[in-house]
Amino acid sequence: MTGPQDAETGAPGTAASVVFRNVTKRYAGADVDAVSDLSLEVPSGEICVLVGPSGCGKTTAMRMVNRTVEITAGEIEVGGTPVTAHPPAQLRREIGYVIQQIGLFPHRTIAENIGTVPALLGWERERTRARIAELLELISLPPEVADRYPAQLSGGQQQRVGVARALAADPQVMLMDEPFGAIDPINRERLQNEFLRLQAEIQKTILFVTHDIDEAIKMGDRIAVLREGGRLAQFATPAELLMAPADGFVEDFVGADRALKRLALMRVADVDLWAAPLAFVGQDTAEVRAKLDGAEVPWALLVDSERKPLGWLSERDLAAATVPARPDISPDPVLDRDDVLRDALSDVLQSQAHYAPVVDARGVTAGVLSLEVIADFLSSDEARVEEHAAAERPLG
Amino acid sequence: MIGAPVITGFLGSFGGAIDFIFSRRNSVQGPELQVGGLEQIWELASTQIAISAVALLLAIVIAMPLGLWLGHRGTGEFLAVAVGNAGRAIPELALIALMVAFIGTGNLNVTIAVTILGIPPILTNAFVGVRQADRGAVDAARGMGMSELEIIRRVELPLAIPTIMGGVRTASVNIIATATIGSLAGVKTLGDLILSPNVYGEEGVIAGAIVVALLALMFELVLAGVQRLLTPRGLVLERAAARATA
Amino acid sequence: MPAAVATLLADVEIRAPGTGPTTCEGRNEGVCPGFIIENIDDYVSPLVEHVALVFGSVLAGFAVAMLLAILSHGRRWLIPPFIGATGVIYTIPSIALFLLLLPITGRGTLTALIALALYNLQIVYRNANAGLANVPAAARDAGAGVGMTLRQLLWRVELPLALPEIIAGLRIATVSTVAIATLAIFAGAGGLGEVLYNEGIQRDVFKTNIVFGSVLAVALAIAFDGLLVVVQRFAAPWQRARAL
Repeated sequence: MTGPQDAETGAPGTAASVVFRNVTKRYAGADVDAVSDLSLEVPSGEICVLVGPSGCGKTTAMRMVNRTVEITAGEIEVGGTPVTAHPPAQLRREIGYVIQQIGLFPHRTIAENIGTVPALLGWERERTRARIAELLELISLPPEVADRYPAQLSGGQQQRVGVARALAADPQVMLMDEPFGAIDPINRERLQNEFLRLQAEIQKTILFVTHDIDEAIKMGDRIAVLREGGRLAQFATPAELLMAPADGFVEDFVGADRALKRLALMRVADVDLWAAPLAFVGQDTAEVRAKLDGAEVPWALLVDSERKPLGWLSERDLAAATVPARPDISPDPVLDRDDVLRDALSDVLQSQAHYAPVVDARGVTAGVLSLEVIADFLSSDEARVEEHAAAERPLG
Repeated sequence: MIGAPVITGFLGSFGGAIDFIFSRRNSVQGPELQVGGLEQIWELASTQIAISAVALLLAIVIAMPLGLWLGHRGTGEFLAVAVGNAGRAIPELALIALMVAFIGTGNLNVTIAVTILGIPPILTNAFVGVRQADRGAVDAARGMGMSELEIIRRVELPLAIPTIMGGVRTASVNIIATATIGSLAGVKTLGDLILSPNVYGEEGVIAGAIVVALLALMFELVLAGVQRLLTPRGLVLERAAARATA
Repeated sequence: MPAAVATLLADVEIRAPGTGPTTCEGRNEGVCPGFIIENIDDYVSPLVEHVALVFGSVLAGFAVAMLLAILSHGRRWLIPPFIGATGVIYTIPSIALFLLLLPITGRGTLTALIALALYNLQIVYRNANAGLANVPAAARDAGAGVGMTLRQLLWRVELPLALPEIIAGLRIATVSTVAIATLAIFAGAGGLGEVLYNEGIQRDVFKTNIVFGSVLAVALAIAFDGLLVVVQRFAAPWQRARAL
């Protein structure tokens, strides 16, 4: 039985491209098109964000890919095969689907939820179980969660399970409709970062719908801005969108603070971080004070044996003979290397901390960020070069 | 003012009824006919249980698939609601009387009449239960590639169990009530005791009422147990969580 | 022929062999409209009794149910026992309930009224509870914020907003009561049961009365329902009355 993946890449699991060709959708009895003559091409392995004001047809466009909405005119191809080539149910089993309300089945365990499509496809029990374990680790949830029910999980956890469920049968294309919309802003940022890290590993082709332009710029490799009536206003990379909006509508939609938004194009990892002198618990404070002399950052960062930040040492801390286990000043905000610079800046501004330690994916200290560091970087030639490079580079 | 005579009278009547259940005695009309006693009670009760159980199963078989399908498609709301209203408006007595007048008596006819009044609650509740199933879960299920039938079976039906079982329990009450009246059509159910005081006496009438009430409560308990068994655990947890935050 | 014999014979109906009764009601093969029209007066009394039974019992049941609902409004722990108690009553088939009350309240209208009111209780109580629970929190907040006491909140905000759902429950209860009241004759009261049973089944299964009695019962149910729909529209002008 051939599926959408066979035509282009031949092997299941590798991503397929998605192509819209003059796609139009008009609902019966409607005066205007919901989607009008939409043409765009999403290369395999990329995230394409559909963004626009409410009612612009972005969700409709996405749903035509898995035929939860039927096409009125035009064609959509997944991996070179038209979506109409196979019965809808079969098509949908090969496309991941994440919606805003999450829609976990409340009457089934987490494991059963995640294993829904594998069960529909007839996988053997062992294979499904292994895949569920793999996915739980991928979304950073402990294995015990598998036997719990959705009502026992928090909103953020449910959201992650929703993503895992969509990934279960290793589809080549994923459709995501405002997947983080129902989450509070703090956790949303975290989930976005985690998802981007995930995508770096799995490299699926993703169609992502959102009404939030900031989310679009952060998440998308390419952005399709739609105006009312489902007409394409601009299809470009985030950098192009910010630097060269196609018309007044796009310019308005992107917002007046385009300059600041450019900060979203870069990550903390792109910046040359400053180094703070590190101190260990029980170390001789004289040693630490010696390091502080002439250092870039005039504060000592207390770290544990794995070099994870515990806090900043105050004058009082250093007055003792040895470094105390509990520092006076909290390390917050602790920034992630993969954070976008815009989020990092806002965290630093909000906390009123002068300096913020930056950690990598394992939590190990990689350097220190502050307002001066950011300002320094932005004004340098590197930043301008970096900005353009960031637009071209694939995720990672 | 309620005084001692009323209370002893009340106890006396119930006492007499209890006595009727357990011991045989002469009928009101004379010693040629013996009435009362566990054997007779059981005979009448078992007929009623048999008719009620068959009718309930028939009503489920007829009404539930229809209600589930209409609810799934989202059409036929008018029909489902109208049937529900009609079911409430038709008196059991009228139904049995019409049946006796135009169709005939006998076990089969009574069973059919009894089934008819069990259909509306099951149909309406199946419809409503499916409509109220978590729309997000249904959307996700469809988008993930479940066929329409699979969606009903695996998502909508389990989530609608509480509402559906509520309908079945209501149907059970209607069915037992109608089966009681069915004795007017010549079928020997417990209604015979209730409706023929000139044979069984006042004690017989009350005894009949007591046994019918107990029978109805028994069915209700069994169905409540079935509901508990069938309700998915995840659903129970979801409702508990919702109550906690409400 | 002697005159005495002649007068005697004058009263005797001479029938040809092979024919039965000649009147419609005598043959009892179907509905006899003539009979209904002729004896229309005989139907008035049972109908009026029926209306009185329904009206009285629904009013009583409604009053008690609302009382219970208001009581359990602030005290949620009361709800399960109330629902349980009213539910048990509802499970018992109506005819059994009528007769179980006989030793306590005797034969007659009072017994019927009490039994019918008890049946109303569960439906109206459940809907009243749900209605009060579904009052939008925003409205409650606003009322409290303006400085209403709990009692004012209940009467001026919560009950009016819960009214549509309460009336929906009242409609269901009323229609059911019209049907159940046909059994009131077995408790010694009047009502349409007289037409259906006493003058119907007991009268050699008189089809005309059985059909007409049924028609009257259903028509009465529809009439009451329609009346309450109108009440619902007036009570909640901010809402289009939905058919339920």
